[in-house]
Amino acid sequence: MNASARSEIFARLREITGEAPAERIQRERQALGSAPVPAPPAAELCQAFLTNVLKNKGTVDCVANRTEAVTAIGHHIYSHFRSHRLVAGNDPRLAAMPWRDAGVLPRFGSLEVGEPVALTFAQLGVVETGAIVTWTGKSNPAANNLLPEHHIVLVDTADLVSSMEHAWGRINLELEKTGRPRGINFIAGPSSTADIEGQLVYGAHGPRKWHVILMGDVPADALALARAAVPA
Amino acid sequence: MNERDREHSPPQRKKRVALFVTCLADLFRPSVAFASIKLLEQAGCEVTVPLRQTCCGQPAYNSGNYEDAVLQAQEVIQLLAGADYVVVPSGSCAGMISHHYPTLLDGEWRDRALELAAKTFELTVFLKDIAHIRPKRKKSPAKLPSVAYHDGCAGLRELQIKSQPRDLLRELSGVEVCELQQSEVCCGFGGTFCAKMPAISGKMVDDKLKDAVATGARILAGGDLGCLLNIAGRAERLGEDIEVRHIAELLSMQFDGPAIGKGK
Amino acid sequence: MEQHSDTFLDNASAALGNTAQAERRDVIAAFAPLIRSAAVEGFTEFDALRQHVKRVRQHSLDHLEYYLGQFEHEAVHNGNHVHFARDGDELNSLVLDICQQHDARHVAKGKSMVTEETGLNDFLQRAGLEVMETDLGEYIIQQAGETPSHIVAPALHKSAGEIRELFQAKHKLGDRELPETVDLVSEARQVLREHFLKAEVGIIGANALIAENGYSMLVTNEGNGDLCANLPRVLIVCTTIDRVLPLAQDATAMLRLLVRSATGQSQTCYTSFYSGPRRESDVDGPIETHFVLLDNKRSEILDSDYREMLECIRCGACLNHCPIYSAVGGHAYGWVYTGPMGSILTPLLTSLEQSHALPNACTSCGRCAEVCPADIPLPDLLRDLRHEENSKKLSAPRWRLGLKLHSWLTRHPPLYHALTSIVIPVLHWFGRKHGNFERLPLAAGWTSQRNFPAPEGKTFMQQYKAQQKRREQGKHER
Repeated sequence: MNASARSEIFARLREITGEAPAERIQRERQALGSAPVPAPPAAELCQAFLTNVLKNKGTVDCVANRTEAVTAIGHHIYSHFRSHRLVAGNDPRLAAMPWRDAGVLPRFGSLEVGEPVALTFAQLGVVETGAIVTWTGKSNPAANNLLPEHHIVLVDTADLVSSMEHAWGRINLELEKTGRPRGINFIAGPSSTADIEGQLVYGAHGPRKWHVILMGDVPADALALARAAVPA
Repeated sequence: MNERDREHSPPQRKKRVALFVTCLADLFRPSVAFASIKLLEQAGCEVTVPLRQTCCGQPAYNSGNYEDAVLQAQEVIQLLAGADYVVVPSGSCAGMISHHYPTLLDGEWRDRALELAAKTFELTVFLKDIAHIRPKRKKSPAKLPSVAYHDGCAGLRELQIKSQPRDLLRELSGVEVCELQQSEVCCGFGGTFCAKMPAISGKMVDDKLKDAVATGARILAGGDLGCLLNIAGRAERLGEDIEVRHIAELLSMQFDGPAIGKGK
Repeated sequence: MEQHSDTFLDNASAALGNTAQAERRDVIAAFAPLIRSAAVEGFTEFDALRQHVKRVRQHSLDHLEYYLGQFEHEAVHNGNHVHFARDGDELNSLVLDICQQHDARHVAKGKSMVTEETGLNDFLQRAGLEVMETDLGEYIIQQAGETPSHIVAPALHKSAGEIRELFQAKHKLGDRELPETVDLVSEARQVLREHFLKAEVGIIGANALIAENGYSMLVTNEGNGDLCANLPRVLIVCTTIDRVLPLAQDATAMLRLLVRSATGQSQTCYTSFYSGPRRESDVDGPIETHFVLLDNKRSEILDSDYREMLECIRCGACLNHCPIYSAVGGHAYGWVYTGPMGSILTPLLTSLEQSHALPNACTSCGRCAEVCPADIPLPDLLRDLRHEENSKKLSAPRWRLGLKLHSWLTRHPPLYHALTSIVIPVLHWFGRKHGNFERLPLAAGWTSQRNFPAPEGKTFMQQYKAQQKRREQGKHER
């Protein structure tokens, strides 16, 4: 390590900004408060989340429980790939799902070349941005988010948070328990690029399709209202 | 004081307005200044023209010669200190006085600049928002041909002038403004910019002119002579048949003379 | 990166002459502001957010030493190696050393303006490494041997046809024709996927560094940066010291401004926070991670009147709204950063002597400042640079002295009015027929593009004084 560069830069910064006690600096930051959050597209959380996922060019499904979830997943894979296979991380929540009931054949681990579909059980869904949040670990190989053709994400309605600030609140609680994960990923849509003549194309490097399944107590009309709010 | 009180209170002392003519109107388009006087009088003001006025200092300021711009600003501040109101038929000169003088100057001069800034208004803002000008009762205005309006950048962004000229054209001249598609994009004048970087400026004014012509309007009006000389000059170069005029000419219904850049 | 800012005017003329590219720029110039305004319109507190983030940024810069130290401490705690580089050469050497320690031969690179600034790719390639840009736009211009024309969309100056020809020349296409844009994207995806899988080192930039937890934030739509960060054995994050923010929520608050201003989204597809190497429980990820934090004059800027420029979040909104940028395109600016922000950063990061034309490429129209999510008074900073240019006597003497003379004259009203009352009527008389001049001495810049409108007649002051005199006489006679 280049120790002289480090000490020179820090000395120069100290000269410019002066020194202040850490508590005072932290107090100053606290006094600045939190940022304003944009108003959600709907008052009801599920509807707002679904609306934003659709805006992000995701596709969506709503299911009431795990049995319905595996059925919806099975249906998605079969309709797109005429297959029953998918890859999922070693997430105990996924391992416990009734896969056989829907005839789905999951493999638990990291996505390998040639496997088109990966499933992630999101840790959070952020209503504000229509993003899902995962963090790396045994149950979440990064490759599963980044390399499949289709990325299917299961989100529990209990894990919806209204804003990115609330997401950090939940993440920080988690980090206190388990330590800092290597990567925290907010994903909001299929991989896309507009680098050629500004024309939007999906599947730039990662998934061409991003399918979000919201599981739990979703109001009956939430999906229809969300669809109505986002022109296809 | 609200609008009602104003109407019911006894006639007040006339607003004393000093007109800052601007150097471009002085040299190239005196009719803008005469039209401004007429409009201000129509709005019930007593108008004076301080005779020692020349230039607000924008050319020096924008070229980064702050030292000379400070001296010019001080001259202008002294010249206009006694007026109740200062009215300027140009968004960029009004912006220079009310927006840039206070940042350019320090100490006591800054306080004086702030005082001047508080009473300085661009012409259409003053007529519409301060003097509440009304159309003349007696004769209905002659029908104006269609008008497109060019928003000068300084007026638009430093002084938030957008509705006032349009409202006045409707109320005083009985004409609805045709909107340019890219109405908030610069015409490429930029003071010395147009002469320092002529090729880029030429492309910008070309776009502006095309946009204006596409509205189908017979007249392109604006509140800043810099922009108007630029656009009119390009229109003449390309032989485009659109008249370019300052809004004061249209509001005062004094537009018998040739438009900017046109011969007799 | 090699610099050509000193020939800005020639670069600009060449760009204006390329009609195909100029037409594409026109389309983008009409389109990009619409996307941004649609994203901002629905967000009533956008300006309040802008002010909040500005206060946080100012606070972070006011205490940069503290927050940089905190970030370093947390990042080391997270298992990173943290390096500091005073200038571009130091950054390049540090990165090469890391690559060589790992016997790396292939590098996968995410988009990073900082490494464009230091010329990292060339440096690594000269040392024998294969460096592949993986952002589609960066990949295209790397293949074409060009430089970015836009900080967000670096290859926007190229047509799909040109990109097709490029791929035909550079890739083994066989009889595949790649007729559609989506085919071009798929082709690049294929080629780059192979590179990701064989690269030993991934290099990415960072949109922010978070002091409280030592994470860096990376914002992309393609996901290429995440592949760089997750697949190779070694990850190097290259960014500058001014990117540090106190809290994680500060980074995401800034994100709200950034994406709306850059691409009109409410969030990019991938917003990722990376903290270090693979943990025990991880099944993938790099085994070693480095931060290389560059100063390269940022501390000088911090100590100058241009400090606010460090609050720039590189969204590209000022480029998209600048009529001069859209007229001449990014390459005319001759270096990494372009448009209004580039016209300020280039003189500050290189030298005003080499680039003093750039601050003059501005009409002070103010559209950039209006949309700047960091609320930087860009036209004021550009004018301040012209002040330095003027003080250092870098501008053309005829302009400098001409304007000085003009200013002097205006401060001597009797002389000014006497002179103008001679010159203006003469000019009027010569131009009375056409009302304008096609050519005029001392106005070649003006008349190269447009006719010069002739004065209407005598000056206003002449006419007004005469009128007042007549009135006075009238009064006396009565």
